[in-house]
Amino acid sequence: MTKLFFATDIHGSDICWNKFLNAGKFYEADVLILGGDMTGKAVVPFIHQGGKNYRVTLLEQEFDITNDDEFLQMKKKVRSRGYYPYLTTPDEMSELEQDPSRVHQIFLQEVLGVVQQWMDLADKKLDGTDMKVYCSPGNDDMDEVDEIVRSSRRVLLVEGQVTPLDEHHEMIASGWSNRTPWDTHREEDEDQLQVRYEAMISKLKDPRNAVFNIHVPPYKSGLDEAPELDKDLRPVLAGQSLQPVGSTALREVIRKHQPLLGLHGHIHEGRGTTRIGKTLCINPGSMYEQGTLLGTIVKLGKNKIENYVLTTG
Amino acid sequence: MSNLFVRKATGMVRSWSVFDAFIYAFFSINLVTLGFYSFSQMYYFGGGMIPALIISAVFIIFEVIVYASLIAVMPRSGGDYVWQTRIFGGALGFILSITGWWFTLWLWTPIYGDMLRQIVLTPILGVLGLKDLAIWFAGRGTALFVCSLLTLGFVSLVIMLGMKAYARIQKYSFYAGMLGLLIVIILLFTGSPEAFRAGFERNSAAIFGTQPGLYDATATAGTDAGASTPLTGGSLQLILLTLPWLVFFNLWPNWGATLYGEVRGATDYKRNFSGMAWALIGVTVLGIIFFLGVARTIGWDFYVQANAAWWNYSWGYTDQVPPLPVWPNPAMLAVFLTDNRLIQIIVMLLMSVWWFGWAGTLFLSSTRVVFAAAFDRLLPEKVAELDERTGTPVNAMLLMVIPAIFVSMLYAYNIGGFISVTLAATQGIAIMYFGTAIAAIILPYKKKELFEASPIAQMKVAGIPLITVAGVIFGGFLAFLLVEWFFDPWLNTDGVPPGLYGISLANTNSVIFLLATYGLAAAIYYGFKARRKTEGIDLDKVQAEIPVE
Repeated sequence: MTKLFFATDIHGSDICWNKFLNAGKFYEADVLILGGDMTGKAVVPFIHQGGKNYRVTLLEQEFDITNDDEFLQMKKKVRSRGYYPYLTTPDEMSELEQDPSRVHQIFLQEVLGVVQQWMDLADKKLDGTDMKVYCSPGNDDMDEVDEIVRSSRRVLLVEGQVTPLDEHHEMIASGWSNRTPWDTHREEDEDQLQVRYEAMISKLKDPRNAVFNIHVPPYKSGLDEAPELDKDLRPVLAGQSLQPVGSTALREVIRKHQPLLGLHGHIHEGRGTTRIGKTLCINPGSMYEQGTLLGTIVKLGKNKIENYVLTTG
Repeated sequence: MSNLFVRKATGMVRSWSVFDAFIYAFFSINLVTLGFYSFSQMYYFGGGMIPALIISAVFIIFEVIVYASLIAVMPRSGGDYVWQTRIFGGALGFILSITGWWFTLWLWTPIYGDMLRQIVLTPILGVLGLKDLAIWFAGRGTALFVCSLLTLGFVSLVIMLGMKAYARIQKYSFYAGMLGLLIVIILLFTGSPEAFRAGFERNSAAIFGTQPGLYDATATAGTDAGASTPLTGGSLQLILLTLPWLVFFNLWPNWGATLYGEVRGATDYKRNFSGMAWALIGVTVLGIIFFLGVARTIGWDFYVQANAAWWNYSWGYTDQVPPLPVWPNPAMLAVFLTDNRLIQIIVMLLMSVWWFGWAGTLFLSSTRVVFAAAFDRLLPEKVAELDERTGTPVNAMLLMVIPAIFVSMLYAYNIGGFISVTLAATQGIAIMYFGTAIAAIILPYKKKELFEASPIAQMKVAGIPLITVAGVIFGGFLAFLLVEWFFDPWLNTDGVPPGLYGISLANTNSVIFLLATYGLAAAIYYGFKARRKTEGIDLDKVQAEIPVE
């Protein structure tokens, strides 16, 4: 039977991607599944000050780089948090301030560059092994990411597909989420999500033995508790007020079809497990900024989950 | 980081309001519940209460730095449990935090219950004219047990309502409670000792049926009970000796802090720090104002004597019911300055919301830690189940409520002198905090890369990371508290128990309670670890870091 390792929301962290690729061997898993949101959220300008000098502002702390060693260390530090270092000049910074639309191009270029590096690394690392790696970009990932993943020899893009995991288990996957306050790349209304899910489910041989690898967690599952926000996207009541933000459509299809397993992410602080009827739903959470790969190992048995555990790697 | 270079993505929220964070930290070191309650029990010390408040706050500021720093390095991670398991490894982190955040909270239940009756039920029933019921609730045994059950009922209701609703209740409670406290302080600063004495005699007689000469009788009973604590003064040593009791009140500005969200920079670190620090400063200043008001109108000596008379009876050192047969709630004493029953009712109702806005979080952290342990497979999956219909964590609640009922019974009926372990409620959490302080000290060295890439990497004192410096000071303070608690009679009362704090190694109840809770935590950890091993899960491995290269 299949032993799978699932992690999600690594948001551009090199450390987490490396750990993910090594997780199969480390945990003796047969299959690696990466949930959505593999791309980072911020670019950090390295502003050239002449010679080998750069000024970098990371997390509101200013660093003056004066030599190659410091430069490499700072790049590593920025990448470890999933941010993208961008070499620039004071003049270009002024131009970008004047024309913020150019920043999007920089983001795209940096994001796609790193995804390409990750795919190259996966191809190199996993060549000669029989490890299977599945990936379905999430709502924060630009559409352009798909093409790059598709070009990989070892990482399979499984968005919207039914993927056989072994002779008894199939997996459906989607990184699309319900609406968020951020108007992200892959989000839609609940009724559209329902159609998306049902289209995949209809192709399953045995939904009760299936894995639903769906980025967004089901509504009111405890895996979808996020701080309530006001209209300006500020957490109200100092983050004390938590509310469910998961998908009602997903909850409905899980309740109706009762798959063996639901694998979710999206809400980083929603780490946990729950049952909806007989379905075990897991959100391993994310601590990508800390270079820690949160995940879950699940051993699939015939008509049942043999065992599972959340991991902190 | 300039917003220009941050894209719109899930979870990219703006900073929360420092004022909101202040409110929740302010509630955690609740002057009216924890403060009034612990001040009143501290009637036999030699150090002044005002300098003690100030000195304790100075030490606790370093606690605030430690927690704000840990949140900055490892935000949204679940607090002490995750920090300790990440830095020390599974066993120690689990045992310290499960005991601190779960088992120790069982003991807080009867203490919350005691405050419910003293702060809410007795004074309100009294001013409503229900004398017999008011006095019954103030009594020993069953009354306290009933109040513990009522507390459990309220806390369970809050868990069922969820934090979204309760966070709002807390915010409204803050404003209502502050209004009540403002009226109390105005009464204390506008009254006179003569007016208080007359009002005290008159209203106590009318409400609780006390005899004429109550003031003098109370003062005498208090003096006989050993009332001595001064408002100011005392040597530094005597002041320091008050702290192991005083921290029962103010060791908790970090209580809700682990909920604070993503820290994206030094500004957010400062916001976290500010919310907690201003709450600590605000409560300390309010505490001093309260003391000065008490001294001005009630009279400091009388206040301490009235408390001594009550606790001497309540702790069972005498069976003679004190002349005032209820706890001398300072808010109630203040409203005795007026004979207007409506004002008395309104003020006592307003003051009671301090309890309702605070007590609901009794099991909040416990529930989280129970869930975290279940997710780590160190407890059965069932304990983290949510009820399908209501979304309530029924099983986790039962794990809190059932043992809490048993502990409340031991406490309420003082079985085997169990009431003497009151301060163990603080001690258990302080031991966990001590673990966190050590974790903070070593974090920059043990998790160097994590620290260097955090928003506090550049915060240093003489080249040493601020988190390490703050950890050493806070850890040193906790070490002092722990030594005083454990070795109290041998250090302070020539080896004669119960000592100053009652929870030393000479107190069999306290030792059994500690050993039982830590033993239970260790048994759960090693028991489940062995069981999971037979199921093919190596819990050490699932907590171990995956190689990067």
